[in-house]
Amino acid sequence: MSSFDLGYGTNGFANHRLHDAVRVIADLGYTAVGLTLDHHHLDPFAPDLARATERLAALLSSLGLRCVVETGARYLLDPSRKHHPTLVSEAAGRRVDFLRRSVRIAESLDAGCVSFWSGVGEPGVSGQTNRRRLVRHLEPVVAEAQRRGVRLALEPEPGMVVERLDEALDLRRALGEPDPLGITLDVGHCVAVEPVDAAECVRRAGRLLFNVQLDDMLPGVHEHLEFGRGALDLAGTLAALDGIGYRGVAAVELPRHSHAAPQVASEALAALRRARKGTAGRSVGARRCPGTVPEEGTPARDPRQDDRLTAAERRVRERPSAIHEEYPLAGRAPARPAGIDPDSLVRGTADDRARTRLLSVLAEVLPEGQLERETERLYRHGDDAERRGVLRALPVLPASVTRLGLTLVEDGLRSNDPRLVAAAMGPFAAAHLDQPAWRQGVLKCLFIGVPLAAVAGLGRRTDSELLRMARDLAEERRAAGRDIEPDLRALLGTAVPPAPPPPPRGEDDSR
Amino acid sequence: MRIFDPHIHMTSRTTDDYENMRAAGVRAVVEPAFWLGQPRTGPTSFIDYFDSLIGWERFRAAQFGISHNCAIALNPKEANDPRCAEVLDVLPRYLGKNGVVAVGEIGYDSMTGAEDDAFTRQLALAVERSLPVLVHTPHRDKRVGTRRSLDVVRESGIDPGAVLVDHLNEVTARMVADSGCWMGFSIYPETKMDEHRMVAVLKEYGTARILVNSAADWGRSDPLKTHQVGLAMLAAGFSDADVDRVLWHNPVEFYGRSGHLLLGTEHGTGAAAALYEGNSVLRGQS
Repeated sequence: MSSFDLGYGTNGFANHRLHDAVRVIADLGYTAVGLTLDHHHLDPFAPDLARATERLAALLSSLGLRCVVETGARYLLDPSRKHHPTLVSEAAGRRVDFLRRSVRIAESLDAGCVSFWSGVGEPGVSGQTNRRRLVRHLEPVVAEAQRRGVRLALEPEPGMVVERLDEALDLRRALGEPDPLGITLDVGHCVAVEPVDAAECVRRAGRLLFNVQLDDMLPGVHEHLEFGRGALDLAGTLAALDGIGYRGVAAVELPRHSHAAPQVASEALAALRRARKGTAGRSVGARRCPGTVPEEGTPARDPRQDDRLTAAERRVRERPSAIHEEYPLAGRAPARPAGIDPDSLVRGTADDRARTRLLSVLAEVLPEGQLERETERLYRHGDDAERRGVLRALPVLPASVTRLGLTLVEDGLRSNDPRLVAAAMGPFAAAHLDQPAWRQGVLKCLFIGVPLAAVAGLGRRTDSELLRMARDLAEERRAAGRDIEPDLRALLGTAVPPAPPPPPRGEDDSR
Repeated sequence: MRIFDPHIHMTSRTTDDYENMRAAGVRAVVEPAFWLGQPRTGPTSFIDYFDSLIGWERFRAAQFGISHNCAIALNPKEANDPRCAEVLDVLPRYLGKNGVVAVGEIGYDSMTGAEDDAFTRQLALAVERSLPVLVHTPHRDKRVGTRRSLDVVRESGIDPGAVLVDHLNEVTARMVADSGCWMGFSIYPETKMDEHRMVAVLKEYGTARILVNSAADWGRSDPLKTHQVGLAMLAAGFSDADVDRVLWHNPVEFYGRSGHLLLGTEHGTGAAAALYEGNSVLRGQS
């Protein structure tokens, strides 16, 4: 397991659909994405945002990708003025609203942080005024992040009010050093504008380093370059990240290379791997927190397995009925190596992911009614692993399968198989299962030893009734003289938001 | 020590279990209908299962000197599966048979609307047939689930003395004691109750209207737990008569209300043992 995850920024895939971009990034071998929210990439102002977020979360989870949320879109808030308004604008309402939305999206995606920059000062406005505005506009954003347990990372950006690392650290102090606020370092920017090299910046940021962007640059020139075209010491920078025990995401930032994104991303990863060769071999022990998704790299792909899967996808595309042969065979995938999710209850198995891909293909080639019928057959005729595969794939299937999906989730929740129950409580259940059934599912996880980290949207959907049930369970445990498991203890410590959660959007509310 | 295990899923157990149970003093059992661990896909699976409860399993038990009775019902968990719900229409044909001593297990699993419906309909069936019922209380949200079960039982109009509310623990025992229903306790190696906590409950509530069972099934469980409760009672100062009351008389009294209870059918276990449709479980002789 590597110490940090190499990713690629979706702003370098501006000409791709988001899900296509994410799949290409994963297929190349990256284990993270830097997700720039934009009008065509998970538009934070779109009416179907919640559903789109759930689907993206499911895709990321099925591909084993971590993510960070980036907020540097150019024309998202104002179609005529790039980046406008910013945190140093006098009227920054739309920016503040956007950043708060980003925090909520990051929560739903289990993203490592929300990264943001300050903004270019307006002509004639003093530095002091800019700093005051920054502090004032950031306060509600920091409060939102604090409330939702999401981390914020301020990125020093050449030409902006906060341009260098020391300015970012000063601003953090001015805000009273709030815990959720850390730093994003673009290592190319370090070459362009910092007084010391990127490795030294990494060390100076230290434990406050929440997010890293990777690219090359030339001193004094703010132009994102592919590795090797500028003056960055890539190997030394990566070694410095290992040196401080950095375990977040380091994503390639090449926003002007979208025209050739797959090729550029492939070459970037090759360069990163070459640079890491000298520094690899260290692994940082992972810490496990109950109720949180463990930080974990994805094991290296087996290229033969990928080839087999690609061939299977092609056969299903050509002849959809081949799904009934290919789907069970996807179980030949090698098991995940044991790590901190040894039973794959939280993130699913490699064959779950393979089966998700096959079902996505099926969804593309079959008309709706037929897709529902074949999906039901795959589940009903499947063994436990095949059933689990269907449950894990539900979030990437179209709305026409939602009603069936609910029936299958309920079926899975009636079983006593922890892997089925864990798969049933994923993002699909978070989006569609009615609240009483969802609470029963959470309790069932506690009963049969499924870590609550496997329950998607746990924080968002936990309500006072679930806590009442958890308290009763703890009381039973105490009366019986038995231990209270850490996940139950953690759940009991949860604060419930004052407003009741919105009713689920599931069509089937009959129970 | 004479033992009647009022709740055990012998279909999931081996003949070794029957031998050990008999050696420990078990002379009679009730096997309530429940799920198989694996979901059933339709009513015919239930019919085969019910037939085995009144046929093959009774025969198997008899060869070890144990009287096997059963309770018949659509279980709470599978009441949620629309493919299985129509089995409710098949139940009446079993409820008049000898050895079918109760409607059960019924009650709640996840407390859904479908479970409400099956619970209510089967309580009505029990009233109509003058049969006792065995009510399973849910594992999850047990306190609320037990309270709600008692409400539904009361609304059905059934005599509380014909109702056994099972899988109780320290948190749920009091409300059932107050309701006039019988109190069932399942003794498990890890979960539910253990024999020492059971003894503490008996000290608090006395020996009337209390049944103790192993609820042994395909999961981690132990068909000799009833025997161990008897030993723990004796060690704690209860008399032989107390033990006999809890482990024998109480279940006989409760299930005896059905008028269908089979007791004392002691088949020989030697070469004279009968065959069931030409088959025997004793091997080496047919």
